[in-house]
Amino acid sequence: MSIGVKRAMSDQEPKQPEVVPSPTDQSAERGQRERGRRRHRNPPRHLDASINMNELRELIDLITENGLTNFELEREGFRVKIGRGTFGEDQSAQAALLPGQRERQIAAGAQAGSSVQSIPTSAPSHPGAQAEEAASVDQDLHIIISPIVGTFYRSPSPTAESFVRIGSEVEHNTVVCIIEAMKLMNEIQAETAGEVVKIYVENGQAVEYGQPLFGIKTK
Amino acid sequence: MTTATRPFRKILIANRGEIACRIIWTCKEMGIRTVAVHSDVDRDSLHVRFADESACIGPAPSAQSYLNIPAIISAAEIFNVDAIHPGYGFLAESAYFAEICEACNIKFIGPRPGVIQLMGDKVEARRAMKAAGVPITPGSTEALDSEEEAIKIAREIGFPVIVKASAGGGGRGMRIVRSEEELGHALETASTEAAAAFKNGDVYIERFVERPRHIEIQVLADEYGNCVHLGERECSIQRRHQKLLEEAPSPMMTPELRQEMGEVAVTACKAIGYSSAGTFEFLLDEDNRFYFMEMNTRIQVEHPVTEMVTLTDIVRNQIRIAEGDSLGFGQDDVIMVGHAIECRINAESPDTFTPSPGLITTFNLPGGPGVRLDTYVYPGYRVPPFYDSMIAKVIVHARTRELAIARMRRALDAMVIEGIKTTIPLHLKIMDDPDFQAGNISTRFMEDFLARNGVRETPVGTASAALTGAAG
Repeated sequence: MSIGVKRAMSDQEPKQPEVVPSPTDQSAERGQRERGRRRHRNPPRHLDASINMNELRELIDLITENGLTNFELEREGFRVKIGRGTFGEDQSAQAALLPGQRERQIAAGAQAGSSVQSIPTSAPSHPGAQAEEAASVDQDLHIIISPIVGTFYRSPSPTAESFVRIGSEVEHNTVVCIIEAMKLMNEIQAETAGEVVKIYVENGQAVEYGQPLFGIKTK
Repeated sequence: MTTATRPFRKILIANRGEIACRIIWTCKEMGIRTVAVHSDVDRDSLHVRFADESACIGPAPSAQSYLNIPAIISAAEIFNVDAIHPGYGFLAESAYFAEICEACNIKFIGPRPGVIQLMGDKVEARRAMKAAGVPITPGSTEALDSEEEAIKIAREIGFPVIVKASAGGGGRGMRIVRSEEELGHALETASTEAAAAFKNGDVYIERFVERPRHIEIQVLADEYGNCVHLGERECSIQRRHQKLLEEAPSPMMTPELRQEMGEVAVTACKAIGYSSAGTFEFLLDEDNRFYFMEMNTRIQVEHPVTEMVTLTDIVRNQIRIAEGDSLGFGQDDVIMVGHAIECRINAESPDTFTPSPGLITTFNLPGGPGVRLDTYVYPGYRVPPFYDSMIAKVIVHARTRELAIARMRRALDAMVIEGIKTTIPLHLKIMDDPDFQAGNISTRFMEDFLARNGVRETPVGTASAALTGAAG
């Protein structure tokens, strides 16, 4: 580990843009620098024709505002690659999987110019990842979270009806689901009154402590 | 050499912090997948990041997370693990937890529940050790009936003796007695104090050692009756029963004494049917006579110093043994090379020892020859206030003790931690201390050292601190 790990671990902030000069320009840049040693050093001229800092800042704003994760731009022998969050994967494309089926997400440190040996920036496969993302946008709903780690079931038995579905009305003591832990079926109550508008987990899915289960629009 | 009878695909680590990381490192080397369980505040902890899978099992308080057996077993079942490694602390010495693992068909990486139970009860352990021929602290093991009985025993074991409350601890109900004349009075006052503090005035007496050394022997045993010892660790440098610094070998050890103590430990293991890794803690008096104090039926914090000098991986051996593999080597194969020292770095003020949790802004790890760092923190990590204050262990290995001390000084100098206070400056002072350098160490070292360095500490049961020194 090195001090560079500090940056890699703060995965809430957008990554620094990586400016990747194309091969032909690297030699030109080197040539420029060498000439610069003998006389007054000038800024590498090839950048004037491609992109300036203001344009780069605008690009970053564009990416952040629109929630893009990866962006590439190439023109006139110059290429910019900007990434936000974890490199090398597209989390939204992943289907809800049981833990154990999902491979560990490893930050692709193989970006050109990346010299920092960073440790994984995303948590390994853990049951709550998908649900946390989905629930994070539902700020105005009451989120029912799992009080224990176990397996989530929508109904009291495989053949029975679900306890609740989208649109169901619940009261404080309405049982909304069962979480099985160590062969014991724990009934989870709503503990709030309102309407079920979101269900964040699937039947039979493993859930962890604190994982969002339902979004309730309270009365 | 037989191969493992039940090789593990996946292990759940029922712990946190540096030991959880330590276990993950060996599992990676063995190709075993790892599952980390954590409390909600430990979400960004390093062991969670490096495990293959993880699950949050509860809120910050240990009782609801790391000690929460149903939650841990539930996670183990969801992830379909083969075994659980309990680390140290938490549930590592819970016979109950070991039993539940067995009942759920999950292998508990440690000895059998019955053995954990036996050695966890101090009175029972002493009896079992005595029966196995292990020297125990001389004295009465039952409550005293009369002053006459006390005098008789005291004459047998020799003064000074210490009067202790049967039901007690924490320095109360204890009196050091240096001559027969003082004994009667000491018995009375100790008994009165004990009755007031513990509702039980029963007292017993033991031989009192003025400046004991705490020497422990590491053992490894498989499930087929094979057992070896991996030599000793010197653990006398303690503050309030907490070890600060350990080394292997002990500067005062001789090959003959090592062999004697090692053989006693191995015999005891076989007598109680021990398996996995374990540590026998002994008290040594000024004449180098050793007495059994207690046994820790788990891996210990300070295991790295043994690993460095014996070139072994204790976690790997624990896993292999649990997989049903036989030890594969004998006592003659055990080597001891050079000298290793470990310093425990705590998130505490080096002067007042007040805890210092918070955000680590800078963290530079020392490296170079013979330096090992076991840690779970990184720059940007917030040390939580809920758990143990130890954030890292710096271990050095060199050819001689003198070289190891110089190496430790150099490594600690290069270790930069900002944002929180740490005990690095304290360890640097210890490295410079003449008594430490000369190897003049006993469990009284820290008390004298702190006094020398102008730190006046309120004494907490000085009698018990000097005598028992049980920590780990």
